[in-house]
Amino acid sequence: MDKMILAKNALQKFIDELLKKNKVYAPIKNDETVLFEEIKKPSEMTLDYINSEYPPKALMLNQTETLFKYIPGTKGKIEPVNMDEDKIIFGIRPCDAKSFAILDHVFKSDFEDPYFLTKRKNTTLIGLSCIEPGVNCFCTSFDDSPASSKDLDILLTDIGDKYYVEVFTDKGRKLANTASKLFKPATESDAKKKKDAEKKAIDAIKRVQKTENIAEKLDKIFDNKYWKEVAAKCVGCGTCTYLCPTCHCFDIQDESTLTKGARIRVWDTCMNPEYTLHASGYNPRPARTNRVRNRVYHKYNYYPKNFDVIACVGCGRCIDLCPVNIDIIDVVTTAGEVKP
Amino acid sequence: MVDEKELRDLVKKTVKRDDVKYVVGYEKGTYGFQVTPCFAYKPEDADKFVFSPLCVHNLVVFPMLEEKPPLRKGEQPDSRKVGVVVKGCDSRAIIQIIQEKGLDRDKVVIIGIPCTGVIDPKKIKAKFPGQVKNVEIKDDNDKFAITINGKTHNIAKDELMPDKCLTCEYPTPVLYDILIGKEIKSNKKEDYKKVTSFEKKSLKEKWQYWEKQFEKCIRCYACRNSCPLCYCKECMVDQLDPQWVRRTVDVSENTAWNIMRAFHLAGRCIGCGQCERVCPMDLPLMELNKKIEKDIKELFEYTPGINAEEKPLLAMFKPDDPEDFIL
Amino acid sequence: MKEKFEPNIIGFLCNWCSYAGADLAGTSRIQYPPNLKVIRVMCSGRVNPIFVINALQQGADGVLIGGCHPGDCHYERGNYLARRRMAVLKKLLEHTGIDPNRVRMTWVSAAEGHKFAEVVKEVTEDIRKLGPMQNFKRENKW
Repeated sequence: MDKMILAKNALQKFIDELLKKNKVYAPIKNDETVLFEEIKKPSEMTLDYINSEYPPKALMLNQTETLFKYIPGTKGKIEPVNMDEDKIIFGIRPCDAKSFAILDHVFKSDFEDPYFLTKRKNTTLIGLSCIEPGVNCFCTSFDDSPASSKDLDILLTDIGDKYYVEVFTDKGRKLANTASKLFKPATESDAKKKKDAEKKAIDAIKRVQKTENIAEKLDKIFDNKYWKEVAAKCVGCGTCTYLCPTCHCFDIQDESTLTKGARIRVWDTCMNPEYTLHASGYNPRPARTNRVRNRVYHKYNYYPKNFDVIACVGCGRCIDLCPVNIDIIDVVTTAGEVKP
Repeated sequence: MVDEKELRDLVKKTVKRDDVKYVVGYEKGTYGFQVTPCFAYKPEDADKFVFSPLCVHNLVVFPMLEEKPPLRKGEQPDSRKVGVVVKGCDSRAIIQIIQEKGLDRDKVVIIGIPCTGVIDPKKIKAKFPGQVKNVEIKDDNDKFAITINGKTHNIAKDELMPDKCLTCEYPTPVLYDILIGKEIKSNKKEDYKKVTSFEKKSLKEKWQYWEKQFEKCIRCYACRNSCPLCYCKECMVDQLDPQWVRRTVDVSENTAWNIMRAFHLAGRCIGCGQCERVCPMDLPLMELNKKIEKDIKELFEYTPGINAEEKPLLAMFKPDDPEDFIL
Repeated sequence: MKEKFEPNIIGFLCNWCSYAGADLAGTSRIQYPPNLKVIRVMCSGRVNPIFVINALQQGADGVLIGGCHPGDCHYERGNYLARRRMAVLKKLLEHTGIDPNRVRMTWVSAAEGHKFAEVVKEVTEDIRKLGPMQNFKRENKW
């Protein structure tokens, strides 16, 4: 069955079942900060959150990833890393799940990145619908819903005293079957309750970003002085890039002691001037204007042109945490109205 | 309460000057309790300027941000003055930078605003979650009058102000070209309560606390970039030859980064709290900076950001500096 | 029998005074513990706190900075500036939970070979009691 019911007091038992044979990552609270970390007991998990500040993309595209280990010298060798590790991410929101699908394009296009794709293959996503979206959520601007998804394996929606469980993929079915006695089939009234909860959540999203034909509109205003106004406030901190679930720029470095080392891949940010600094000293993006404009274009112009999807999921993290209130909803909506 | 009309007229006058490139101040934000920096290049832009208890940002970071856009052949760089709207704490940043010769006094036009306390964005978001529409906030002696959806809430200032305001000794800018309103004197004293109570813990407890915090750090460097006093052309973490702090994000490197940043601000941090406010992972960075501020006051009788003629703390010495720790 | 813990101590010694003092201790055949690994710097004022932190990260259990006596610095004031820096650094380390007694400073002149040996003995024993430095050591377990 793909549409089932899970009683609220059975949720802990479900997590217990999952923990028996799998690694489970779920939202936890470290003081007031919500993070997706590995849990060993269901009591470590929290359900009191809108979304984590630090995105769950860190579980697919680790902030620090070892590519291979090596021992230097004439008798040296290279040791590949073990990537086969099954895991489950519980409590992920539909927008973050969509971000993985968006990242798939980049890591599959010219070259298939084994690190990211192996993790994608070995991870099962159990989502939790947003019934109370955040102030700056705008997933509906991309025709997405806070309570449906094409990119999850299982989706749970809170409909009062129980969860409405939808299973979308074989991976999800396999997992649900391990705890099949905790589920009951869903009735018509349950399905209606879920529809109502979804509508309520969609109506609660007040902010709208106008993205109609945005790629073409942006093409016409590349040299417009509008970008100087937008970027004047930017301090170049990089918070937006680190918290964005679709940002994926990285740097590769070797780290070593005298006797061993590893090549690692770390997150990098295009808001840093050093990101585009050439060895000659020339910098093609010397000013914040260039870098802020590049970030907006990457998400709303280059990505749609290459892969047919806007690289923004509407999670609102950048708006919540930008120190100077650079609001991507306003920036893009206004950019669409600037006369070329 | 600051007379916003007076502020706007003054900014208009400043922008009209030939020798001023732009003036940076505050304007209404895009949602809820947000206020955002506003740049006035033309006199009309000044109409957007506001000043309310939500203006917690330290704008001195903007004159310090290096911008070197490529110039056309024969074009000279624009070296006109920059106008900046400052509260009491912000003005100390300018003084400290002038003391270190990071900025010339005649490169800034300082528009000072005597401040009666601002609001900590995290505290007010916790009190009134889910605010999308912009909110009116007025200063009412020892309360803030917050009007949401037609209803006004009067909340005691002590409940919503950030820690820096509770012990503010300099509400009036210490250095300014123009002052909007009357000077305010403060009877508050910095008592370093949080620091002293933390000092009583054992070393083990202290490390347990900080290890948990440093584990959260994601090395986004928001603290560094939004700090007005972090203006090194090449930051120590960007150095590759030699690489002091690795790119790996783990407790070891995060500890090195946070300790070294706090050290580099020793004698320079003026306690605006911007680093702690912008940290996306809620690291309590001011606890480190406040500790150093307390120690340098005790050890060397030095307070940063008060006297532009003074010599910077770590660039000078006294023959009788404490040396009880030296064998 | 349990092996005694041998601390790893890095010493930043200034070229003109403390390094020469260490050299004198050697030529005078004075015995002192071998736990100190010396790095010669031109002046104690050259020592950036990042060196100290980096040493602790890479596995040093303690750091010793040796400089000229106040007033005798070859570069006039380097040791005075280092004195201020280290005072601030030790307080900061203590606040984060790292024992400030792991970072020590000493004035040793070029004629004080015996004093140098005594200092190394004292610092080695102190750090031996503190145990290995674990707090923020680099794990290198990529």
